[in-house]
Amino acid sequence: MCVLPLFIPLSITRLLVMAAYLAIFAMSWDMMSGYTGYVSFGHPFLIGLAAYVSAFLSHQEGFQPAHLVLPLYITIPLGIAAAVGGGMLFFLPSMRVRGPYFSLVSLAFMEILHRLIIAIRPEYTGGDRGLPALPAVVTGAVPNYYLSLGLMFTVAIGLWYVSRSNVGNVLNAIRMDEDVVEASGISTYRFKRFAFLLSAVTAGLGGAFYTHYLQSISPRRAFSATFLLDIIIAAVIGGMGTITGPIFGGYFLTFILEYLRPYLFGQWRLFAYALVAIFIVIYRPKGFYGIVQDIRSWFQRRRTGGEVYG
Amino acid sequence: MAKLLEVQGLTKKFGGLVAVNDLSFHVEEGEVLGLMGPNGSGKTTVFNTIMGDYPPDSGKIFFRGEEITKLPTYQRVKMGIARTYQVPRPFRELPIIEDIRVGTMPDSIVGNFRGGGARLKEVSKIAEDVGLGGRFSMYPHELTMGDLRRVELAKALATNPRIVLLDEIFAGLTVAEIEEIDKLLRRKREQEGLDFIVVSHDLKALAPLVDRVVVIHFGQFIAEGPFDQIVNDEKVKEAYFG
Repeated sequence: MCVLPLFIPLSITRLLVMAAYLAIFAMSWDMMSGYTGYVSFGHPFLIGLAAYVSAFLSHQEGFQPAHLVLPLYITIPLGIAAAVGGGMLFFLPSMRVRGPYFSLVSLAFMEILHRLIIAIRPEYTGGDRGLPALPAVVTGAVPNYYLSLGLMFTVAIGLWYVSRSNVGNVLNAIRMDEDVVEASGISTYRFKRFAFLLSAVTAGLGGAFYTHYLQSISPRRAFSATFLLDIIIAAVIGGMGTITGPIFGGYFLTFILEYLRPYLFGQWRLFAYALVAIFIVIYRPKGFYGIVQDIRSWFQRRRTGGEVYG
Repeated sequence: MAKLLEVQGLTKKFGGLVAVNDLSFHVEEGEVLGLMGPNGSGKTTVFNTIMGDYPPDSGKIFFRGEEITKLPTYQRVKMGIARTYQVPRPFRELPIIEDIRVGTMPDSIVGNFRGGGARLKEVSKIAEDVGLGGRFSMYPHELTMGDLRRVELAKALATNPRIVLLDEIFAGLTVAEIEEIDKLLRRKREQEGLDFIVVSHDLKALAPLVDRVVVIHFGQFIAEGPFDQIVNDEKVKEAYFG
């Protein structure tokens, strides 16, 4: 993967960058929703918050009044901090409601932030038009490819470590039956809070870097339902609650969307991948990861004769 | 003898329905208490309130003299109260040995990063103890009702409890299985001094196990005493046979 840009056209390198960011967002979503079962419809809230904070603080040209301009190595951490702060402030209280209610509340947060950014002080936020000409962390497709890949692997390794630890086991158990975990003497709130924190950090990290890769931000794109669906579907077809699955989902979805472009116009593409997602959820709820796992455990069972725990 | 668990004036309403009405009873140290009552009399609601699944509308709950009415469920479990569910609730994607291990996991992020939970060997011992030997890597959908109830029991025991609330632990079991679980519970009591509150429809299974019985009907206390005396009580007969 490291020498790949030498052999492929720039257009594909750019696609790979987009895919890496989508993978980061999907992993972030998976950490919160795939693991604890609290399905977030408001992830763009976290991503957008980090992106907007970093964009606003680093933005120098344009129509808005002069203000303090900070370098990216300060604004990006501040953006991540904003995602964490905002996430803790809004998402944690919403955990009082479960299931679809949580999803709806989180969706409301996304929409509220969307409206606020358009309505409040548009001379600073760029209002409906957003902020153009943001500084970039690195320029060019190839450096950005390495940056996005590096970020993606950092996030993947970090979250994978968590998911392989016993903390991952507890979160997994929470997804299956929260009450029973609580009745095992474990504060489910403590673990959900931890998962949400990780998710917010990851979403913030991805969001801040992503917006400086695009070098622009607009509310319509940052808080769109399409963006939200991309994230969720990437995680779902990759395999919820697996961390590595959503990486695959991110790449798969990005390329599918791109290569379907000539054949299916506009919203029809959304229809096509919604169909894929529905089939996966019905027939293989663990996504592609589950399919791989099934094959592996089949081999394992053949080798050990079925008894894994002696 | 000291009171281990005490319920005082417990009332729980669901909308207009009064599920438990001003109920008081207690369990003494070293005692096994039976909680009886016809269908819908509020037995499970009593358990849920003791565990803290929802707050009571009024009344207090004490454990070892300490009030626990407002504590979250996990803290009550850490203090030594455990339960089994009327309808077994295994983690459907976990082999039963992993399921039971959840009960041994520490309540801390750092603790769980450092490994957390009992070793497989210790968990195996618990599973072996309740009679699940040889079925450790099976999944819940592969188990009989009897084994599912054993898993429930093992999970409760894994939290290292002082008292276990058993909700219909004998329901759906064969006569042989009832006998085995009955024997197991009595052994736990003798060897480890465990206390139980047993909810059961099966009076025959209940009889040899309990020291004392509390009977409720429509959420209200109607009688209390040794099993033999209770089954001949006029009010109890009326509650059961109308």
